[in-house]
Amino acid sequence: MNFNNREPVYIQVIRHFKEQMASGNLEPGQEIQSRRELASKLKINPNTVQRAYKEMEDQGLIYTERNSPSRITKDKQILQEVREELILQAVDSFITSVRSIQVPLDDVLELIKQKYQNGK
Amino acid sequence: MIEVKNIRKKYGGKTVLEDISFTAEKGDITCLIGLNGAGKTTILNAIMGLTPIQSGQILINGEVLHKASYEKISYIPDTISMSPQMKISQGLQFMDDFYSSWNHKRASELLDFFSLSENERISRLSKGNIAKLNILLGLSLDVEFIIMDEPFSGIDLFSREQIAEVFTSNLIEDRGVIITTHEINEIEHLIDKAILLYDGTVLKEFCTEETREKEGKSVVDVMREVYQK
Repeated sequence: MNFNNREPVYIQVIRHFKEQMASGNLEPGQEIQSRRELASKLKINPNTVQRAYKEMEDQGLIYTERNSPSRITKDKQILQEVREELILQAVDSFITSVRSIQVPLDDVLELIKQKYQNGK
Repeated sequence: MIEVKNIRKKYGGKTVLEDISFTAEKGDITCLIGLNGAGKTTILNAIMGLTPIQSGQILINGEVLHKASYEKISYIPDTISMSPQMKISQGLQFMDDFYSSWNHKRASELLDFFSLSENERISRLSKGNIAKLNILLGLSLDVEFIIMDEPFSGIDLFSREQIAEVFTSNLIEDRGVIITTHEINEIEHLIDKAILLYDGTVLKEFCTEETREKEGKSVVDVMREVYQK
């Protein structure tokens, strides 16, 4: 994972988790790594991971039962929201870059269809 | 917490530290950044009581440094303090004899972590391995604070990466760390707080995540602003 130095690292960690959840790499109820394990893996400060976990807990993305490791939420609505949020973000950033080169919408849609299917 | 309050120091007629103040919290990694000659090492020496200061105060958990403080704080200087003809095992024994806070178990873990062999003679080690051994000696003390002078300087890429890994591992646990560096790039994501020094003064003290969040700036961005004014 590559980090952007200008964006809070904890926010980038949360986004990483959301992507993993949306893609199904992290399943509902799955145990997540401890603070230290993740800090070692991503080579970042454990305090930063701690902050990301706390924030995810507050947002209901993960939950912790007494004395056990944190797990990914099983709440279907939250998982659905994460998915929608990521899709919207991706579409927004796509639109921003395409708009800047002033391509007509129909041309873009046609291109998307072609490329999307070819990419499969 | 380590509190450095308004310290001043002169060597002969030259002022080397001019009214330096900052704090380093337990559980945080605090980084003193500055070019050579900015006063980084002198500040560390002052914290350890190795060099006298003309005025100001340094408190460790609210207390002025005294003999027992050396069991609370360990110093990893930029050169190893063990005699070169010693074997690593003898260096470890020396530390064990000298400090009651020596943690033999952690020393063994670190030997494994750095792939160092106890039977090796210090004079035969590469520069990178000497740096690792030096860090091993300091980290194996059960102390609350660790102070490191330029742990990344002058060694190869892979040794630097391995040393950086120590900071994210359970070998640091929740201790407070102060490190100095003139090369921030590789450790941007490791540090909680940066203190920018220039010519014996503190130009800026800031928390790295807070600055990213509120101003969208990296540590290097802030350095550019502060140093290139």
